[in-house]
Amino acid sequence: MKKHSLILLASLLASPMALAEVVVIGHTSGPDSITQNQVRDIYLNRSQQLPDGQKARPFELPEGNSARSEFHDKVTGRNDAQLKAFWSQQVFTGRGQPPVEQGNAAAMKATVASTPGSIGYLDAADVDGTVKVILTP
Amino acid sequence: MKTCFRLAPLALAITVGSAMAQSNDEAVAQMQQQLNAMQQQLNSVKTDRVRFNGFFSTGYSRASNDAGFSGVTDETSIADQSLLALQGTFDVTEKSQAVMQLVGRGSEDWDPVIEWAYLSHRPTNDLQLRAGKMRLPLFMYSDSLEVGYSQTWARTPAAVYDPVAIQSYVGADATHTLNFDGSSLTTQVFTGFTEEEGNISEVELRNTAGLTLSWTDYLWTVRGVAATAETSINATRLAAIAEANGLQLVDGQAVLADEERGNFFGIGLGYDDGTWQVISEVTRVEVDGAFADTDSAYLSVARRFGAFTPYAVIGWVESQDNDERNGAFLAQSSSGAVVPAAPESVLNTRRDEYSAGVRWDITPGVAIKADITHVRGFEGSAGGLNPAFVLTNDHNSTNIYTLKLDSAF
Repeated sequence: MKKHSLILLASLLASPMALAEVVVIGHTSGPDSITQNQVRDIYLNRSQQLPDGQKARPFELPEGNSARSEFHDKVTGRNDAQLKAFWSQQVFTGRGQPPVEQGNAAAMKATVASTPGSIGYLDAADVDGTVKVILTP
Repeated sequence: MKTCFRLAPLALAITVGSAMAQSNDEAVAQMQQQLNAMQQQLNSVKTDRVRFNGFFSTGYSRASNDAGFSGVTDETSIADQSLLALQGTFDVTEKSQAVMQLVGRGSEDWDPVIEWAYLSHRPTNDLQLRAGKMRLPLFMYSDSLEVGYSQTWARTPAAVYDPVAIQSYVGADATHTLNFDGSSLTTQVFTGFTEEEGNISEVELRNTAGLTLSWTDYLWTVRGVAATAETSINATRLAAIAEANGLQLVDGQAVLADEERGNFFGIGLGYDDGTWQVISEVTRVEVDGAFADTDSAYLSVARRFGAFTPYAVIGWVESQDNDERNGAFLAQSSSGAVVPAAPESVLNTRRDEYSAGVRWDITPGVAIKADITHVRGFEGSAGGLNPAFVLTNDHNSTNIYTLKLDSAF
């Protein structure tokens, strides 16, 4: 009982700090690292390639998700409305489709873990060995 | 010894605990593996072969008079400003796609029209080949002309976007992208033909050939375009105005160009740092014959304040070949006599546009825009607007008030 409450306390203490750190993750067979500009280019449809030459398959968390806001704040510098306007322009001019959205952190982790060439982002606290951290922006 | 006994149960507990934890871990790892395998199968099935997207606009515009800027008069209805589009993107193979876009416009009784229908193929990462019906890429925003949500403005600056009455062509293009460190150069060549009936005229372009070059470092964008075509233009509105005045234009009088050489040149400049957005385009349209050759330009400045983006645009269009229109359009009067119906100079064009507006991003996917546009400086020309109104009334300006909702989904 005491152990449980300690864990609870620890997680309560840890979570605000963990929230402040988003990490870029990839499939375990993918490259070990990537630059912030390379991630930005993939998420803004400027590049479709991972550093190792594989076709990149980017994934996104839903609008309003705190890890998503933090990721875009640090990497693409665009908010949800700007991203929406940007992608509507890309989609309706035939230039590309936005990254596929995953419903939550668990789905993001599972999809990145199971999709070769995948790239995604998670709160550092949600990461485990099924995916590889390739950048801490 | 005592300590030993005391420690033994603890050691046992730790061993048992870790053994249990280990078997738990194994079970979780196994389940995770199974889950991954299932997920992988799922992903390979659904790879998003078909995607649907759409956009919608509606709004209300009212003009201070019937000069007809952007087709807006003092009795334009909401339906006239509305449109709904659906786009389907079908992955044929990993490198090929079919794209179709259907647009229904309130001004056309919502009859769906196919605006895009093309096959695209990417033989390499840098090269895209397309064939089918596409937008004529004359302007920076040609491709997304009707996607109001993707633009800051309530409407594209008319001084530049209106002199070319056509939007689409049937043909093929090739787009090559050269990526540098932090910037890219996109080269596009296109060829094809067009036959379109607009509100003002019927336009036919044959053997169109064009080139666009666009360089961007994702902060600045510089774009150049040159295109040429055998151009035929039938001024249907002119004939209609004559007819409304009891005059039948002599056959062929409304034909402003009959397979004449038509050229288009444009330079565009854009800057967008996420806060400030500055855009300018300068264009020239040249067609041999009576059709007005025009030079146009606009400059737009916008600044984002959170969800609000106020903007200001100034635009200008002026015909450069007024001295070639000294004759008259001839008509058959009811008595059978051939009489001059209107001087050719009704095609002369000059106007200045001033727009001020604001875009409000209510929520991602929906934006509302309010815009006031003031148009003046006709200097005795019809200003590219409705000549029957502008030339016969004292008004030397027109105001257009617009409230618009744009959405993309």
